[in-house]
Amino acid sequence: MDIGTTVAAILTLAIYSFLYRDNPFYKVAEHLLLGVSVGYFLVTTIVTTIMPKLFIPVFANGELSYLVPGILGALMFLRFSRKLSPYSRIPLALIIGVGSGVAIPAYMQAQLIAQLKTTMLPLDDISNIIIIAAVVSVLMYFYFSREHKGLTGAGAKAGMYFLMVFFGSTFGYTVMARVSLLIGRMQFLLGDWLGIIK
Amino acid sequence: MSVNETLQKRQHIRRIVFILMALSVILPLIFKIGLPLKTTKEVRDVFEFIDSLPEGSAVVFSFDHDTATLPEMIPLAEALLRHSFRKNLRVLGLALLAEGAAIGDDNFRRIGNEFGKVYGEDYIFWGFRPQVTVAMLGLGEDISRVFPSDYYGKDVQSYPVMEGIDSYDDIAGVISIADGDMPVHWINYAQARYGVNVIPAVTAVMATTMYPFLQSGQIAGLAAGLRGAAEYEMLLGKPGRAARGMDAQSSAHLLIIGLIIAGNVLMIIERRRK
Repeated sequence: MDIGTTVAAILTLAIYSFLYRDNPFYKVAEHLLLGVSVGYFLVTTIVTTIMPKLFIPVFANGELSYLVPGILGALMFLRFSRKLSPYSRIPLALIIGVGSGVAIPAYMQAQLIAQLKTTMLPLDDISNIIIIAAVVSVLMYFYFSREHKGLTGAGAKAGMYFLMVFFGSTFGYTVMARVSLLIGRMQFLLGDWLGIIK
Repeated sequence: MSVNETLQKRQHIRRIVFILMALSVILPLIFKIGLPLKTTKEVRDVFEFIDSLPEGSAVVFSFDHDTATLPEMIPLAEALLRHSFRKNLRVLGLALLAEGAAIGDDNFRRIGNEFGKVYGEDYIFWGFRPQVTVAMLGLGEDISRVFPSDYYGKDVQSYPVMEGIDSYDDIAGVISIADGDMPVHWINYAQARYGVNVIPAVTAVMATTMYPFLQSGQIAGLAAGLRGAAEYEMLLGKPGRAARGMDAQSSAHLLIIGLIIAGNVLMIIERRRK
């Protein structure tokens, strides 16, 4: 057993100690996690992005075109100045503009058209009937221009039940995921650390 | 009963639930029960997809997760990597979240060594790139522009494993090991635009987000959570950590079902008393 495993095991127990009550061990472990995560992200970003995508091309290779995104990125920091903060909107406008231009057609194609296509099914199968009934009734549930009475009300109510089934299955999966995390930690504590299980 | 007493009682009940939950997980891990485990179609689809690839095909593993979800992500990554290496595929890796870079590189090295694979010849880890949209779209045009150098700073095109691999056209599929909705971005930008096969290997929480894409055929299969990893291990014929955890998973679920029923019964009794 190496020292890293023991440190990780002690930190795991420190985090789990919160289940009894809030305590200094938990606080230390929590702050350590935050600090290490932010530090790691910062170093990774500098080493893998800022250095090869800005400093090396500009200062080592003399490729000055890389200065343009560099300056735009630097303009973002002007948000901290009251006087100069309007200039920070220039890169933001560019990000939003380009981002929307790229994202909207992609979303339309992948999410809307492809998903609509899958809903246009022949009514010769019970699964297809359920899918179509669920889509139509959920859409009726979110249709607010008419009072939910009569046929609209019945449709909306059916939509609500379909939504509940969705929420229930999502919550079931969430519980499963949380239990999996606990199993992973127990396998680590009992196996990797204490060697009780293989 | 005073407010203080009620709060104290609730605190005690909470602690009892935590102890029961810990026991329901620990005991099956120590004393194996060996409950049967069946494989589902969506996991079999992933297995069959990788299994059907000819030797030398290139697959990309994208480590789109952080350390918080490692217990779910690592068994999935290990099972899929083992299968890919066993099939002698060319395995390429990247991370779209910073923490995924170290995790991905470690997994590649560890599983690669298990199969005697050589870095640069059989597999490569490109490293981390921020701005997922730009990275995903860029890979469709020219991989070496998005990743001019690998995780270790060496020219990507200098490695033999990269021979003939320039864009998605040369890649059989992208496996996104994700704890969030990154596979949806892969579908939006890589699958819809470039037609590349996307295979999400996600946390159980994300499974319901992925099912509509499975039904529409936008993803080649789905492996979700520890259960997905356990099924994959069974298909590989090598039950591992995930499969061993399934007894604990089942017993914890039974406990939760029991607690829900007990809670509701107690609530009904209390209401009737009032």
